[in-house]
Amino acid sequence: MAEILATEALAKRFGGVIATDNVTLKVMPGELRCIIGPNGAGKSTLFALLCGIHRPDAGRVLLKGQDVTFLPAFRRVRLGVGLTFQNNRAYHHLTVRQNLEAPLRPDRHDQPKDAHERFLYALKLFGLDPMSDLPARELPHDQLQWLEIAMVLAGGPDLLLLDEPTAGLSPDETLKTARVLRHLNEAGLTIVVVEHDIAFVREVARKVTVLHQGRVFAEGTVTEITAHDDVRKIYLGRA
Amino acid sequence: MSRLWKLLSGPEDIGQSAWFWVGFAALIIFFLYYPAVITEFEASSISYYLLNIPLALGLCLLWGYAGVLSFGQVAYFGIAGYVYGVVAGNMIGNPWGPLVGSIAGLTASAIIAAIFGYFVFYARVQMWIAPILTLVFTLLLETFLGQTAGYQWRIGSVQLGGYNGMTGIPSFQLGKLVFFGYSFYYYVLIVVLICFLACRMLVSSRHGHVLLAIREDPVRTELFGYDIRARQLVIFVIAAVLAGISGLLYVQWGNYITPTQVGLLQAALPVIWVAVGGRDSLIAVAITTYLLNWLTYALSSAGNQYALVIIGALLVCVMLFFPKGIIVTLARELPRRGWRSAFTER
Repeated sequence: MAEILATEALAKRFGGVIATDNVTLKVMPGELRCIIGPNGAGKSTLFALLCGIHRPDAGRVLLKGQDVTFLPAFRRVRLGVGLTFQNNRAYHHLTVRQNLEAPLRPDRHDQPKDAHERFLYALKLFGLDPMSDLPARELPHDQLQWLEIAMVLAGGPDLLLLDEPTAGLSPDETLKTARVLRHLNEAGLTIVVVEHDIAFVREVARKVTVLHQGRVFAEGTVTEITAHDDVRKIYLGRA
Repeated sequence: MSRLWKLLSGPEDIGQSAWFWVGFAALIIFFLYYPAVITEFEASSISYYLLNIPLALGLCLLWGYAGVLSFGQVAYFGIAGYVYGVVAGNMIGNPWGPLVGSIAGLTASAIIAAIFGYFVFYARVQMWIAPILTLVFTLLLETFLGQTAGYQWRIGSVQLGGYNGMTGIPSFQLGKLVFFGYSFYYYVLIVVLICFLACRMLVSSRHGHVLLAIREDPVRTELFGYDIRARQLVIFVIAAVLAGISGLLYVQWGNYITPTQVGLLQAALPVIWVAVGGRDSLIAVAITTYLLNWLTYALSSAGNQYALVIIGALLVCVMLFFPKGIIVTLARELPRRGWRSAFTER
């Protein structure tokens, strides 16, 4: 089976700082991959390169086998990618209903069959009312965070890229987010999560990629990674 | 029919209740009946207050709904007016000349807006650069038109006229029906009403929702798969066409146009009309455009030399006390957010 998302020797530097260095990743359809690393490891830059916000200095990004390295972000999304950001970017001044309608592009006719069920499932578990005329800014933080995930699911992606989806959430809310993502993954959605909350990673990930100083430092199952001495040293601060 | 009603009564503008539409219908009936009790001169003055509304609605769409402030909407007002003057002026004697001139004027506004907008939006010009570019464009146009004095600056039989302007522009006519006085009043009323209802339907449509999303967060919206450059360009062209409609009505009303119509002072006025009412409500902008034009005219004709100073001071007061606009604050924010937070920007 071909990879749904792959990078080949991806590199990006900002002035003298090498943010991403020779990163090669392969994500198979149906995977739930976590990309972890300490602060400054290059996670967010890699995320921006994957979704097309930044252009790489070298290397390639492949989506469903198609080279999208120089494709603008909106064209990558049209290939079936859904994205959420580290900082919540739901439309705070629009209503919940308007937020959930915004991703429904009229030109999108190739949604996966079960995309709508996944969206409805997420709404139910997150406790969001799709017809609510409440401005999003009046939602509590957890619901605002979940609203953005629901918005992305409304667009019917088959690959979900999430940048720290649990930022600012309590342990209970983090657990709930993990449970929903795991279910979505079991329902066929490929998910790549950039995260540093190790408890969340333990809860959801099948496979983990560790970044350090812009490079892929280690890759393996959660058990392998958490038992990896060097990873514990660079990431958890202890051997 | 229910879809049409849904588009007209969307929550994107003030006024969804039955009472709103009763009031709206009463206002239209009043405007239809009003010429029966006023002189032709007064009807002509009201036509002038009304004809600026499409220009303001265009800016409202662009600034309030799509988040792109333009200081240069009067450029498209002027382009449509001048092109109409040239085309209709060269077809004097032909009963369909004014119609051809109107189509040519609007087409010219749309094409020039599309070219200008393409460079602005496809170059991803950000923040305050876009408004400055629009202002520079209209000032360049004013400078160019100002130096067109002299016999060599004529197109066919029509003189551009430099700062003296283009005079003798034909009134609008359809076949043998010439619009002036009372008939011009009704013509303007119908055009303005159509523009208002079309804009209202646009903001409640799917395209309108995408505009709101772009206004809120362009990057987020692009990452839902929308080509925001194309969306912004389309709304920019629509706003230019609306400005062009006002430009056409203006030259058909006064039969002249001068470069000052695309100058700095005129460029600032639509921004004031839109900001005072509330930039994210079409009905608020339509009302304040009418009232502020009436106020300016009333102050000027009463011999007050400070009419524009008063209008400018009004803008400053509104920015300080009603940052979301007077009508929007009173009709939408106050009932929704209460006294404590209704008067703040967000």
